[in-house]
Amino acid sequence: MKPLNLIALLCFLGGATWALTRSDRSVRSIQNAYYSAISPFLKSGSAIEEKARNFSNEVTHSRSLEAALEVTKAELDKLKLIEQRFDTLEAENARLRSALKFTKNTNFTLIAANITRRQTTNWYKTVEINRGEESFIGIQNPVVTAEGLVGKIDLIAQDFATVILLTDKSCQVSAKVEGSADLGIISGRPAEYGKDPMLILSYLPKNTNLKKGQRVFSDGRGGITPANILIGTIESVESGAMYSEALVHPAVNFNDLATVFVIPREN
Amino acid sequence: MLRYSITLFCLILLTVILQQFVPAFIALYNARVFLLLAVFLCIAVTVPLPVMFLYALICGFLWDTQCAISTSNLDASVYVDSIQNIRFGSSILLFGLAGALMNGFQPIFRQGKWYLSALLTGISTFLYCLAEYSLLDFLRGSFTINRGVMLQISYTSLFSLLVAPLVFALLFFIARISHYQIVVTQKRSFRRFT
Repeated sequence: MKPLNLIALLCFLGGATWALTRSDRSVRSIQNAYYSAISPFLKSGSAIEEKARNFSNEVTHSRSLEAALEVTKAELDKLKLIEQRFDTLEAENARLRSALKFTKNTNFTLIAANITRRQTTNWYKTVEINRGEESFIGIQNPVVTAEGLVGKIDLIAQDFATVILLTDKSCQVSAKVEGSADLGIISGRPAEYGKDPMLILSYLPKNTNLKKGQRVFSDGRGGITPANILIGTIESVESGAMYSEALVHPAVNFNDLATVFVIPREN
Repeated sequence: MLRYSITLFCLILLTVILQQFVPAFIALYNARVFLLLAVFLCIAVTVPLPVMFLYALICGFLWDTQCAISTSNLDASVYVDSIQNIRFGSSILLFGLAGALMNGFQPIFRQGKWYLSALLTGISTFLYCLAEYSLLDFLRGSFTINRGVMLQISYTSLFSLLVAPLVFALLFFIARISHYQIVVTQKRSFRRFT
């Protein structure tokens, strides 16, 4: 080997070793610096992409949008009537709560976000949302939809964040099963070819008597994910030598995510 | 050479940004155009070994910066077992290996047979993705290469194969404007026709 090539190889290995020995904290600061640097490009690129998509949608769907608008107007009128009734009921509910000194057990502030990119890496199950530090969200904040738990914030920049989905093994949540005292840890399972992604509820007691169809909720252990957020329903239960495991069908359709809600830390 | 290398460095930075806007094809098993790897592999065959190592270091570092996810500071009451992910910096070694494979076939490329190098780009992409997936799967305590994963890797390799001729055309153009010779037969064929 030529001396120059050998020196280059040694420098390369030195550089690789330096990168491999970085702590998680240093990696985070490198990532923050990197995303701050490319943020202007991403912002302008996303804006162009959105304009192009809107233009394309406008051209192709103008007629169907007109029809949809008519239906929406009718729905809006109906909803206005329902809202009036709802306001009366809410006021009545508040009055009764205060009379009974009843404390609300869930009170979330939710920050709505749109999915801007899906599957941002080769193998990790991640999506990118259009909310970041500017919207007062932070790392490890849970992300939900009306159907249930979606995942957690993994990486955050000024105006966007990466969400690691519940279907990835890296995203774990403490969970409980309705109608049972059993607690376990939910994590993702590698998706099988042509099948929906599934979750695994592990560390269940060996002699658990969970049944198919029972719903799984977050139990709030650890304080990151609030309790009582729906995760999915049990498909099957398998007993192991020390623990049992349950296969859980997620409540959220991860292939059809468009708008999600982040629960900020102050909750 | 210096002008060519600097232009390639700018091309890599541009590719890193472009890669952000290349979506994964959900219908094709989450396969994607792995533009950064394709561009790097094509570059690797046109530059000397030390320069290739430099670019492998840059590309691997930038790719890991884009992709790394956190595995520490997690709640111990929830994360009973430690979660293993691909370590930051691993891609540098993988880029280096894939680049070394491409660089090893440089004599064939220098004869003007760029199409063989384009084919090798597809093969190297396949090996890179397979190694990356196997590493992650092994670290997470399983070894489950199923048909979906193989199809994802195969489609990603196919996209690299299709992109490679365009990248080579760009590299030939950059080489020409930088007055850097990447193919020895260029001069000969030029002489033959004039």
